[in-house]
Order: sequence, then structure tokens, then C-alpha cells
Amino acid sequence: MGWITVLPPERVDLDSCVTCGLCLPVCPTYRLTGDETASPRGRLAAIDAVDQGIAPVDERFGEIIDFCLQCRACETACPSLVPFGRIIEGATAEVRAQTPSVEGRLRRFGVTTALRTIPLLRSGAIALGLLQRLGLASRGLRTIPLPERSARGGSWGPGEGPVATLFIGCVADAWFSDIHQATIEVLVAAGYRVEAPSSQTCCGALAAHDGFIDGAEKMAEQNRAALRDAEVVVVDVAGCGAHLKDDPEFGHKVLDVTQVVAEAIDDGRLPVLEGNGELVAVQDPCHLEHGQGIIEQPRTVLWAAGYDVVDADRGGLCCGAAGTYLVDHPDTSSELGRRKATAVANTGATLVASANAGCEMQLRRFLDDGYVVRHPVEIYASSLAGEGHMSDD
Amino acid sequence: MTLIDELIALLGPERVRHHPLDLLVFSKDAGVTTGDVVAAVLPETAQEVAAVVRIARRYETPIVPRGAGTGLAGGAVPVSPGLLVVLTRLNEIHDVDEVGLTAWVGPGLINLDLSERLEPLGLHFAPDPSSQQACTIGGNVGTNAGGPHCLADGTTVAHIYAAEMVTATGEMVTVGSEAPDQPGLDLRAVVVGSEGTLGIVTRVLVRLTQNAPDVATLLIGFPTIEAAAAAVSGVIASGLIPAALEIMDQPMVKAVENFVHAGYPTAAGAVLLAEVTGTADTVASGVDVIRSVSETNDAIEIRVATDADERALLWKGRKGAFGAVAQAAPDYYLHDTVVPRTALVEVMTKIYEIGDRYELQMLNVFHAGDGNLHPLVAFDAKEPGMLDRVQEAATEMVRVSIDAGGSLSGEHGIGLEKRGLMNLVFSDIDLDAQARVREAFDDAGMMNPHKVLPEGSRCFDAKGVRL
Repeated sequence: MGWITVLPPERVDLDSCVTCGLCLPVCPTYRLTGDETASPRGRLAAIDAVDQGIAPVDERFGEIIDFCLQCRACETACPSLVPFGRIIEGATAEVRAQTPSVEGRLRRFGVTTALRTIPLLRSGAIALGLLQRLGLASRGLRTIPLPERSARGGSWGPGEGPVATLFIGCVADAWFSDIHQATIEVLVAAGYRVEAPSSQTCCGALAAHDGFIDGAEKMAEQNRAALRDAEVVVVDVAGCGAHLKDDPEFGHKVLDVTQVVAEAIDDGRLPVLEGNGELVAVQDPCHLEHGQGIIEQPRTVLWAAGYDVVDADRGGLCCGAAGTYLVDHPDTSSELGRRKATAVANTGATLVASANAGCEMQLRRFLDDGYVVRHPVEIYASSLAGEGHMSDD
Repeated sequence: MTLIDELIALLGPERVRHHPLDLLVFSKDAGVTTGDVVAAVLPETAQEVAAVVRIARRYETPIVPRGAGTGLAGGAVPVSPGLLVVLTRLNEIHDVDEVGLTAWVGPGLINLDLSERLEPLGLHFAPDPSSQQACTIGGNVGTNAGGPHCLADGTTVAHIYAAEMVTATGEMVTVGSEAPDQPGLDLRAVVVGSEGTLGIVTRVLVRLTQNAPDVATLLIGFPTIEAAAAAVSGVIASGLIPAALEIMDQPMVKAVENFVHAGYPTAAGAVLLAEVTGTADTVASGVDVIRSVSETNDAIEIRVATDADERALLWKGRKGAFGAVAQAAPDYYLHDTVVPRTALVEVMTKIYEIGDRYELQMLNVFHAGDGNLHPLVAFDAKEPGMLDRVQEAATEMVRVSIDAGGSLSGEHGIGLEKRGLMNLVFSDIDLDAQARVREAFDDAGMMNPHKVLPEGSRCFDAKGVRL
């Protein structure tokens, strides 16, 4: 009974909930099921019971905890400011530690070791790129460039001027190289020198969300060493940014790229481009909105790119991608993905902006052909370069 | 076959929760009491509800209906081992009549979802409890819920034309009707506010209200709670009936502001949130009245929110008030007494005195317009003896409200928490009559036993525990 890991849910955090229930309606799994055990308050009750020693960490506890998407919409809704994300990460770690399985060990390798082993990442990307060209890879992913492209170790822009350190991530380096490219172009246009130190590694968000705190901590240590001297760390994947911002050492230096670009637009360092009369639907990734409190900046960036901006699903539920969730709970993930795609389709826009790689893949999976999904900064970069209409890859 | 086997045969394993951990999770609502749950079931149709009731009856297991579990009086908490019938999946809206301004809705529908879905038609459901973003229509019906806007619009009973329900014997009946007037007893009004003790409501015909063409929300800071209360009396005395008049004291304002960052004046002794609705002319003159009455009562800050975003932010603060209390302590306890508006200042003073005497941390937020108080005690239930002390103090607060000519509960329901205090407002004859009504619906004492009526009102309590 009780907890066995080094960072379990803490009593002081659990006590910050008064069980008012205002988190229930914003929780995707509660919305789909109407079931208290699938709600934030219900999960906290289960965690509280273990903490008090009246329930064990058993299979049912694991189910209750693992059904959570960790979207953190409940944190935004909570008048008591309960740090739910932190609590559920601790509980997930306990589930992994106390209910070991073969599947768990495989996953530990995947989200901890594999994601920080560069040769594995590179060969994996090449293999996936080949499979895509043979028509064998799943819908949702962008076409991975071959020969491979990498931002690792690069530097761009003028010799002087403020330095922006680009966080390149793990799979994003190859899978979303277009986004990194756009980020670099726009930051250089804003007067930054951009550097991507090669010693950085995966942010560790997937490991932490999956309960492998030790693996996440190893990654954090490596990133602390790599990013210690950075003035500002710019992240263009919201899920990574939300995790990195919680780092006790360099978290305060981390900014989402939409924050940096929107500020440069406000300051006049980047231009407000002429309106093109086209519509873009903006989707709010959970780890941007709830994890980082960023709502306005992507809209500013898209407006400055010349578009008429409409909300895809303001205040809506998570799209269901949620890291590895789509693998563990395909039915729930798909239902949420379909709902999000319907909300996007209802806007009438065929261009969709999403600042998180996972959401982007989910949107591509569930939107019909004819929709284009891009990062807001890619859309701005395209307008800045005078390229006009955004098309798919 | 056991009770659980039969329920699973009816609903499937996913909709019958009975693992010990599930039972713990379902054993509480938003109040402080923990109950004893045999299983929690999630039916999806009225027919399934009826079948569940018939099964439970055969096993002589009491039934407790539950919506979102946002109740504060323990209404959805089974006392003797009971079956929770969770109604969240009965959440349909159908037959919206845009001319007659009615719709049939399921009890599991979230209150705010109804109004949001009706927004394109320019309509809404008037009762707006502070938990409206989470609480369900079924719970609103069960407790005859109020809310800030009930000052002008009346409580839930004024917005329910008919209710379809499953009786204690598992039959379906409809009370009230689509026709505006009915002969005979108004059983609809008996069912609304009966807290699940007469049957399980499976859908209701709600009255829809047209959205006002214009709205203004005022946020007014006062040096003291007395000044704010005096302003409320002044506004009502002027003949104006605003859509809402809400007061928060300084500790509450501080907690709320920390959550919403809406610019609530944290230096003020109390804040009045007032809303006027109507045509542009009525709204403008209403704002003038409130402004001048407030100035007369030493208002230190008056802010008028006219755009929808700013209004929503101000209301978000008010409606998140209970939840924000956790910033002060992990638990809270409150009653929702009603006092005559003229007694507001006197009763508030006494309530603060009681809080001081028991050395308790108090936060206050209340529907000032209709004298509906929510003196809220923030505490830590893990401190030995604390809950007893809190409940004792809260009972004293109820007594001073009743002594001032007030009533026991405005809107939260009696449930478990206040049943012991019913004797303060009802005579034995009253209570016996209420118990007889209940027997007429439920002779076996199956439906939410041990709730509302005090122990010994009649014979239900004995029946409820015969397991």
C-alpha cells in the first residue's frame, strides 16, 4: 500500500481540491462517459485513497489513472488552482512502478532510451520515410524528407544580435523539419541569431506523462547542461514547451515560438502583412492553452500573416492525440479526433493552424482530404516570403 | 444471481461500477459526507432506469439518484448501503418549441449546456446556480435550485412545466403537463425540490426564457459589508428589480481574484456584483439607479462591464467562489439560509461573531437580492474534532438566520446535512404531513432514504436500514 517512487503525488497538492466538481465538464473522458471515475475529481479521489492507505495501487487504479489524457483542461477550470498535471504524472509513475509488465518495459525503452539515441532516431526516420514512399505508413504524418534533414548543431542569422536557442526535440527534428525551418527563418527575420546546440536531447514529456520519471530526469539533466547558457530557448512544439517550462533550472527561459513572434510583431520587428482575404482556423493545443496559458499569440501571428482568423473549437475538448494516448485508448482518441475534425469543418476554413505536432497528426488523420494543417509560424513564414497560398506537402 | 449480476446482465459491465475503488470514488458529492455505495450504474434510457429500480426493489436496496455530484448537502450520498443511479447519460434535448418556448430535456444535461445550445435561438434556461457549468438539470429539479438570476426570474420550480419520472415501483408517470393549466393537485411542484425521495426524474419539460436585448454588469467596491448590504436594500427599495445582486466579502474577493484576475478590488471590505437586463433604455436607467444608491452608501469603486467578455470574466469569479476556497483550506462547509433583506446586516454581523467565537476562518458570498446567505467556513477536516466544531458553528449560524425570520435553505437542498435542523422551521405536524406525502409515492422507503426529513418523522428510516 502507498507510494514507492521518489516523486509521488503530494498531500499538499491533493489537499488543494475541495471537490467542487467545476473540472468535470471540461474533462474529455468525463464528457464522453458521464462517469465520475473518468473525471479529474474522481481521479483525485482515487489518488487520495491510495495516499491515505485505504486503497492499493492495483489494476483498477491503473485503469483510472491511464484513462486520463493529461490535457490539463481541468487546471484552467479549477478555481482552487489544483496542480493536476503534476499530481497525475506522479500517480502514473506509481502505476508503472507498482504494476510492472512486459509492455511497460518496451514502452520505457521507447519513450526514454530510444528518444534520446540519435542514431536510432535517424534510422527510424529514414525507415519511416521509405515506408511512406511505399504507401505503407499511416495517415496523419507529414512526408519525412529524404535524404534526411536535421537542424542539430546548426546556426543561422547575423553574427551579432540576440541569440535564440532553438529546441529541436527528438522525432520533431526529422518529422517536422519544415516547422523548425520556418521558425529559423522567422526568428532570423526578427533579428535573432538562431543556434541549435547539438548536445540537447528529447524534452522528456512523453516519458514523464507515461510515468517514467527517472528517464525524463536523465533527459532533463542533459538538456540543463546543453541549455544552461542560453538566453532564451524557443520551442515550436507546444507539448515539449509545456514540459520544459516546468524545469526548475532553465524553465523560466523557455518560450513558445508564437510568444516570441507575436512580441516581435507587436514591437514592429516583424511586419504585419497585407490581408489576403483567406480564412484560417486556429486550433488551441491543450499544452499551449492549459499547459502554458497561451491563447492570443497564435492568433496575432496568423492575423499578421494576412489571414482572417476563426476559432476552430475555442474552449473545446482535447483532440485526443495526447502523446501515446492514441495508442493506448484508440477508441476514445478517435472519438475525440472526429469531434475536433467536425468542429474544424464547421468553421468553413480549409487551412488549419496548430502549434503542436501531436494535434497536427491527429487533425490530419480525421480531416477529409483538402484540408491543410500547418504550424502558425509556417503560415507566417510563407506569407513573409510572399509565397501565397499554403498547400499540402 | 446477485444484485450486481442482474445489473450487469441489464447494462453490461462497463456501466456497472462496483470495484472497491470505484465505490470510494462515488461515495461523495461536493459536500463533506462520505456514504456507502453498493454499486453505481449508468443507465442511458428511462426504460433502463425503470428496470434498475425494479431490480433494486427486489433486492431491497435503497436507490440514490446522482447527476454531476456537485450538491453540497449530501443529497446524492447513500447513507445505508445504496445503489447510485447516475443519470449523466440521459442528457438529450428534444422537441425544442421556439414558439411555445419549451423543450424536453434529460436530467443528466448540464445546466449551462442547455443555455449554450439554445444561444443561436436567443433563448436560455433561467435558473443559473453557481455550479451551472457542471451541475445537471436533474439536480436542479431535485433541489429546486436557485442562482444569481433567480432574483428576477424565480427558482427552478417556475421553469419546469412537467416531469416524467420512474416511481419507486419502477413505473413511468408524468406529473404536470404541456398544457398551461391543470386541474387537481400540482404534483409537479411537489416533485420539484423532492431531492430524489419520490422517484427518479427521467426527463423534464423546461420553460425557456428569451435572452435580454441588453445587459450591464456592475462591480462595486464598498468599504464594509454593511455598506454593501445597505446598498442592496436601497436598490430594492427604489423599486428596481435587477437580474442579480451578489455580495462577496473581502476574504472571498481575494481568493476569487487570485483565480480569475478580473480586477476585483481586493482592498474593498465587500464587493457587490449587480446585473440589469432589458432594453437599452431600461438597462441605462437601472445602471443609474444602482450607481447613485451605491454612491450614497460610500462606494469606493464602480465599474460597469458592458461587453460580453468582461461580463463573463466577472461572473466566472462569482461562480468559481466556492471552489476558490481551497486556496484557504482543503475543506469547506456551508449552509444556504435565507433571511429577510432588512435583516441582512444584523445577521451577517452575528455570523461573523460566531465565526470569531469558534476561531474559524470565514468567507462570505451570497445572493443579496433575495437574502440567500452562504456563510462558508474553510477548514481542514483532518484536524481532530474540527468537523464537529465547524458543524456546531454552522448550526448556530442557521439559528440566527431563523431567529431573524429566515429559512433553513434557499436552494442547496436539505439532503443529509440539514435534515437534523428541519425541526427549527417545521412543526411535528408539518413534518408528519411531508412524510405522508413521501409514503404515498414510496411506501417501501426505497427512494433516497434518510434524506430531507429528520430521523423519526415517520417510519421510513427504519425501513431504509432493514438490509
